[in-house]
Amino acid sequence: MMEWIQQIWPAALLAVGLASLFALILLIASIKLHVQVDSKVEQVHKALPGIDCGACGFAGCASYAKAVVANPELIGRCTPGGADVSAAIGQILNLQISSGGAPQRPIVHCRARREDKLFYAEYSGIESCTSANAQPDVQACHFGCLGFGDCVRACKFDALHIVDGLSTVDYHRCTGCGACAKACPRNLIRMVPFTHENMMTVACSSRENGKTTRSFCQVGCIGCGICSKQSELFTVSDNLATLDYAAYTPSEATQRAMDKCPTGVIVYRGKTAPPPRQPKSTASASAT
Amino acid sequence: MDTLQTLLLAFIGIVIVNNLVLTKFLGTCPYLGVSGRIDMAFGMGCAVTFVVTLAGTLTWLIDHLFLIPYSLEVMRYLCFIMVIAGAVQLVEMYMRKFFPTLYESFGIFLPLITTNCAILGLCLFLNLWSIDSLVHAVVLSIGAGVGFTLAICIMAGIRENLELADVPEAMQGAPITLVTAGLLSLAFMGFAGMI
Repeated sequence: MMEWIQQIWPAALLAVGLASLFALILLIASIKLHVQVDSKVEQVHKALPGIDCGACGFAGCASYAKAVVANPELIGRCTPGGADVSAAIGQILNLQISSGGAPQRPIVHCRARREDKLFYAEYSGIESCTSANAQPDVQACHFGCLGFGDCVRACKFDALHIVDGLSTVDYHRCTGCGACAKACPRNLIRMVPFTHENMMTVACSSRENGKTTRSFCQVGCIGCGICSKQSELFTVSDNLATLDYAAYTPSEATQRAMDKCPTGVIVYRGKTAPPPRQPKSTASASAT
Repeated sequence: MDTLQTLLLAFIGIVIVNNLVLTKFLGTCPYLGVSGRIDMAFGMGCAVTFVVTLAGTLTWLIDHLFLIPYSLEVMRYLCFIMVIAGAVQLVEMYMRKFFPTLYESFGIFLPLITTNCAILGLCLFLNLWSIDSLVHAVVLSIGAGVGFTLAICIMAGIRENLELADVPEAMQGAPITLVTAGLLSLAFMGFAGMI
């Protein structure tokens, strides 16, 4: 045993000596080369979700933390964190923050599945919405979902899927970062304040007149204006009905508008949304 | 005059003929990882050059002052990696203080210089080639860093042009990069026997 210790002590001494020497050098260096980091930046960084999604417009949570401390006007850019994170940042920076309202979630303003709409020919180009959108006649509808999934690729949370050729949001997974809304070349996906768990929406973006829309899509908005007669939340302009999302509350009037819509384009979107109903007169639509 | 010639030849030898990356296949991780853009590749080359110069010199001194006289050669790896890790920490602190933008663009690759095998390789080669003068060791260390910078900058230049090339889908990304690296080192094999 003693022999073993006698053999090992020079090596151990050397290792300990060198390690202490370097530790000392690094200690001196860390004092001399100390970089002062604002403790508020570190606190804000801790309060952020830390997923680096980029919804705030900065490269990641670290750079957003730095920016928000320098300029508190940027509070509230963190959509995945929502009101909780804004309040936490406000507390760190000693600011009074208003709640910021309902969380923003995307709604796909189209409900036409592949079999609901008309195609002139099969598209066989690059499988992306952006390049398909460059082809004027990739599908008869110039406004509807292309179904090649640019939004699916943009989503970091696996909250979007193409179901029957239509982009569909999984609201249980969605954090509201807005990447899909930026990715969609047809601007179908728009961020909407979800004041309720399920939001009513006019799931169409077609601004063609009723006859033309009818000719290529069974479930498009034909701009008939029946909904606007039932509830003043609906307005029709450019052959397209729109719902005032900010003022929306479920009522008998909105439900009536939904039930009376001839094409069934008014649907619910949200965590527990019921499936959309069929249009009233499928026989008259000529889509194949 | 004679020593000057030896040093010059040693320098050219380690930069071109015995380039650590292209003929010894050491330090391939940052060579493939940070060679996307020329400016970053050059920054990485400079950081590695600094670390390898410091580490090569210090390890040669430790080797000849402590390890060999007390026949503690078994401690070589431990002591060498300690020197390298310390030097990298030093570089990191220095960079964070004086080049914050470069520090942020390096990200994880800066601390990863610690595990860059070109550096430990050079320190061990100094022993393997039985370099017996400090000046010779310093020149070889600087040369190794310059050689690494040369290799990674050539690679970054090729890869920047490769961005515009029509690469078959199956070859995109890592495969074409590895093929490029192979061809590049094949070209450098042509220098073998020059000195």
